[in-house]
Amino acid sequence: MHEVESVGVLEKKYSRRTFIKGVIATGATVSSANYLFRGPNVLGAATVQSTTERLLTLTVNGQERRVDVLPNETLAMTLRYKLNLTGTKLGCDRAECGACTVLVDGVNQYACSILTHQLRGRSVTTIEGLENPDTGELSVVQQAVIEEGGFQCAFCAPGFVMSMTAMVADNPNVTREQARVALSGNLCRCADYEKILNCAMRAAELARSV
Amino acid sequence: MANMKDMIPAFDLVQPTTVEDAVDLMKDAGDEGWVLAGGLDTMDWFKDRIKRPRVVIDVGGIEEMRGIRDEAGGVEIGALTSLTQVATHQRVRSEFGLLSTAAENVATPQIRNQGTLGGNVSQDTRCWYYRSGWPCYRAGGNVCYASAPLAMNREHCIMGRSRCVAVNPSDTAPALIALDAKMVVQSPRRRLYDAEDFFIGPSVDITRMTVMEPGDLLTQVFVPAFWANSNFYFEKVRDRGSWDFSLVSVAAAFRMSGNTIEDARIAVNGVAPYPVRLDAVERLVQGETASETIQNAAGELAIQGTRALRHNDYKIVMMRNLVRRAVRSVAA
Amino acid sequence: MAEKLVGVDYTAVDLRAKITGRAKYAEDFRAQGMVFMKLLLSPMPHCRVRGVDDSRARQVPGFIDIMRASDVPQPEGPSEAMLTDEPKYEGEPILAVAAESEEACAAAIEAIELDLEPLPFVLDPLQSLRPNSPNAYTEGNQFSGQDGWSTYKWTDADFAEVDAGRMPNPATPIVEWSKGDIEAGFAEATVIVEEMIVHQSATHHPMEPRSTMAYWENGRLHAFVSTQSAQRTKMGMAGALEIDPEEITFVSEFTGGGFGSKIPGHTHMSLAPLMSRKIGRPVMHRVTRYEENYIGRARPGFQSWVKMGFRADGKCTAIDLMIVQDSGPYGAGDHNTASNVADITYTPGNMRYRGFPIYTNTPPKAAQRGPGGAQINGMLEPLIDKAARELNMDRLAIRILNAPTQAYGMGPRNQMLTSVFAKEALQKGAELFDYENKIRLSGQRNGSKVTGIGMGLSTYTAGSRGYDGLMVIRPDGKLYVYQGIGNLGTHSISDTARPAAELLGLNWDQVEIMWGDSSRGMPNSSVQAGSQTTHAHTRANYAAAQDALRKIRAIAARQLGGNANQYRVDNGRVMGPGGSMTFAQVAQRAIALGGEYDGHTLPTDINAATVPAANMHVGTGLVGVARDNFGGEGGIYSWLAVFGLIELDVETGHFETKELVCATDVGTVIHPRSLGAQCYGGAIQGMGLAMSQRWVFDPQYGVPFANRLYTARPPSIMDAPRSCAWDAVGIPDPQTPVGAKGIGEPSVGAGSAVLTTAISDAIGGVCLCRTPLTPDLILASLEGRPLPFGRLDQHVG
Repeated sequence: MHEVESVGVLEKKYSRRTFIKGVIATGATVSSANYLFRGPNVLGAATVQSTTERLLTLTVNGQERRVDVLPNETLAMTLRYKLNLTGTKLGCDRAECGACTVLVDGVNQYACSILTHQLRGRSVTTIEGLENPDTGELSVVQQAVIEEGGFQCAFCAPGFVMSMTAMVADNPNVTREQARVALSGNLCRCADYEKILNCAMRAAELARSV
Repeated sequence: MANMKDMIPAFDLVQPTTVEDAVDLMKDAGDEGWVLAGGLDTMDWFKDRIKRPRVVIDVGGIEEMRGIRDEAGGVEIGALTSLTQVATHQRVRSEFGLLSTAAENVATPQIRNQGTLGGNVSQDTRCWYYRSGWPCYRAGGNVCYASAPLAMNREHCIMGRSRCVAVNPSDTAPALIALDAKMVVQSPRRRLYDAEDFFIGPSVDITRMTVMEPGDLLTQVFVPAFWANSNFYFEKVRDRGSWDFSLVSVAAAFRMSGNTIEDARIAVNGVAPYPVRLDAVERLVQGETASETIQNAAGELAIQGTRALRHNDYKIVMMRNLVRRAVRSVAA
Repeated sequence: MAEKLVGVDYTAVDLRAKITGRAKYAEDFRAQGMVFMKLLLSPMPHCRVRGVDDSRARQVPGFIDIMRASDVPQPEGPSEAMLTDEPKYEGEPILAVAAESEEACAAAIEAIELDLEPLPFVLDPLQSLRPNSPNAYTEGNQFSGQDGWSTYKWTDADFAEVDAGRMPNPATPIVEWSKGDIEAGFAEATVIVEEMIVHQSATHHPMEPRSTMAYWENGRLHAFVSTQSAQRTKMGMAGALEIDPEEITFVSEFTGGGFGSKIPGHTHMSLAPLMSRKIGRPVMHRVTRYEENYIGRARPGFQSWVKMGFRADGKCTAIDLMIVQDSGPYGAGDHNTASNVADITYTPGNMRYRGFPIYTNTPPKAAQRGPGGAQINGMLEPLIDKAARELNMDRLAIRILNAPTQAYGMGPRNQMLTSVFAKEALQKGAELFDYENKIRLSGQRNGSKVTGIGMGLSTYTAGSRGYDGLMVIRPDGKLYVYQGIGNLGTHSISDTARPAAELLGLNWDQVEIMWGDSSRGMPNSSVQAGSQTTHAHTRANYAAAQDALRKIRAIAARQLGGNANQYRVDNGRVMGPGGSMTFAQVAQRAIALGGEYDGHTLPTDINAATVPAANMHVGTGLVGVARDNFGGEGGIYSWLAVFGLIELDVETGHFETKELVCATDVGTVIHPRSLGAQCYGGAIQGMGLAMSQRWVFDPQYGVPFANRLYTARPPSIMDAPRSCAWDAVGIPDPQTPVGAKGIGEPSVGAGSAVLTTAISDAIGGVCLCRTPLTPDLILASLEGRPLPFGRLDQHVG
């Protein structure tokens, strides 16, 4: 995300602080834009009606995505409703289930509980960004899940897969008990925890062999 | 007005990059401002549409408030340092394991990745009447719903009540008290508080959990070297192994001379509207060996003056047992 | 030889989609011009809406329209409407607002002024039985279709018994049945155990909240729904909207769990279609977790009294069971099932059941995985241990002795079951657990930790009969299996097709599963509930495969000569005396022949709902379509024996589950890995009921507080057992072609029982006799302190 010059109401209010480096975004009005389904290449068009200071460039899955973001908008909503990346799920919207887990600079976080504007200059990876874009090859974690037959309803799966991805990058020699802790911010109501741990251990094994 | 949740009301967002700017912006915003750091406590208030600041001051971009630095006489931890960083930092782990263990026990990995040390100690209480937006004393009203005769108060306090019976939910707070940490608050005047004095009860100000008033910003936590490499004990009892706040937690530091406790700090949380330092227990164990008699005496002394609400008598014995165990941890 | 498919692990056909973000759940669909809808929930547990002033809401930029109770059907009696002007629980939807954005929906709803008249409410069903106590409805607390509303109360004398801790003897129970001679049964008993037991309510909380997206195009509804079942939910939605089911394109490819709360979909799934019809725009109804807590259903709580008699040899000779059930505002049948499960699990021969389902002003109840059975197994198993202790008997031996065989008839009508291998499951589980050695660890102390051994037997329904199968072999040589069942993660969409594919001699890569979209054709199917799908649709698909096989052979014989019966299938070919043909050739031949071969003529006995589905495939290949006419007599039940080991810290009341062992009788095992996952997953859900899940209401204000995941406390990965193992008895059910019964539900009661018994074992045989068994309760008991809650308190924690 790069910095955007602000011309908002607050900028005027705080005009003496021209030295403030940072985005000042204003969102006093609600968006009245109709939801339009757009392919990834034309998403930028959604920003036409908005004030400039809400325009951000987010690095998502290695691509720069220009998007109109309200100050009070969470990353999960930006991903799901602006960038059409619906793999990131909203299970609770309150940091209590982990279905929305994404990587921010490689670290697993809850997309439901971060304002998109907090991610200036950061890089976001979602479940859609794990496959090799050229070959379609699955990541080691995805491959491990296929091998171990992980998940039941799988609404939690994208979040778990993202946490596992952060886990194996951090420590490919993880023990089963350490994996349990590493995945303890993701809830699975089908309680498929045993298979999920099998997947995690297999993913670590695959990561070690890469 | 009909009840609505889960959509964050609109606000103006400012993202200062220096403490000076942040404090300035906070001052301008006054009561209408809100400081956003890790955002976990914040998001709840916003999504419940209970707290509706006009201006949100996102301090996340202030680099000087981030990171752990070796200082003469201790370590300085920026308030924005994530709980994961606190839990995994090499020096903190090796010398102040009490704090890293406490940080490790917070909520979940994602929350620790995102949540900050400053946020963890500054967070508001989780009393479910208060968090549901009921107009209780703490919210500016004139009743405590949680201590009403039929109220559901299993997780409320057994001591320190004063109109309000909520508890402090922080895991790191008792650890910081046991380590004699100092809290650095800027407003723009820079002030230093002992961790023990940083947390306040409802008898001091029922609307706040800490000394910080609107316009105050917690910038650093300083952990002095005094307790480095001491014997530490941390335990948090909770209903589930993940996410949950503590029912009762204990954090203790002991300086030993052979089997004798030279000096001790013991703090508990989850029992009062503020983390409680048990100085009487500290005095009791000082100069003693952690015999079973002393363990038991420590436990009994810890719970003197506690008083249960309708559903939380268990906390009294849980607290007694945890204090006992803390002392037992340095038994021969 | 084609590969063996039954009893072999394989990769679920939808797994890759699920872990790449491609799997679309209801809230993942978008449509051109889509707008949003949100609900206004009642702030009171019972009230009347006297007025709604929406004038300010209409001024909110982006506001589109509003729907009130008068815009939706209002069923008579204690039935749920999509919107109501007399909310009967805090959180019941009063109205719905559509706007251009969710922010605008929220702002508009906040701008609405409600004029509400508070009405008396009741949260605790037992309270509603007290003389002169409030009722959940202004009209009363009992309803019958014949007589309408009435008020049912116990007497002061009954409550004198209740308050004294004894089983009351109300004059006219609402539900009553008995079998054998209960007096004689107790007379025969050497030991009689008697307890008051509370099982608390618990919300379902599937991971995916029940969102819906819907739009209309040229009079046709396109609905994207979160539901356990597919074809049956489409029928339900058509009924709610009063339209022809064939005018709905119904999409539910993936559902993020339901556990009984989304069986035929759910009441509020029809709001988005109605709003969309009203405003002429696609409508997204994104349900939040907070809303899910209210409209997402809960397991009914029980307050009960039970008396069980045991002979000197340990045989249970009598059960006297009484249950007061929290039925919520719209009813539930758990208590009836609980009584049957108690009977079949412990085979007393002599039993009396008295049931008191009472309406309350708490959010609606519905079946939750193992409804009734899960509660009663968790509640009664510690009593078996109590009897064993008093009789100085081995805990496993007493269970094997009392476990049923096929000779025992269940419930008041002595219903016979198709197969019962409960004793075998207990024995198999004991072996896997190393019971002989593990039981010696019971009560062993290590520092402040004490070991508790848990065990139990659990059962639930596991099948149904008479549905239709539909499949097509196309000219590409592949078998396309059309599934009308839903996809909530049990792998049934492919598991139930594998025996059919095996019958047709196909390799798995020659099979395509078509599901989740009614425009592909959905045959008449069971609902995905009661663990019936594996049984029901293995049969239905097997019937269709038999039909296809008959046609394949007939075509081969016609084409190649000889007798059709001499032809066999393997590896996508049919071969016999006259040579062989590929399935691709067979499919082309079927199209050329027409008639029954390519679906131009359909069997006359298939369900009317299957006909339009089959018609979609006329002329596309060789059509296999048939009704499950395999028949069979008796109830279909699966069994699960469970063993576990916990370490309980006597200084904190906290415990950790070290080991879990499940042994199950599900007939033939179709998909081992998935079966194991159902055993563990259900068991851990049951453990959640026993150890942490709660639903707390403030009794004065009537509102729930454990209305979020962190306060409701479903089990996390940290609470799961440290080691798990499972096995299956593996004896086929004799009454079904492949021999497979369902799983899913018995595991929940088993999981609950393993903890209620293990905790009791660890704390010296004390039955705390309530759920959940949280550290506060355990510690208070160990320390001899006052328990945090009254013995019969409901909705506390």
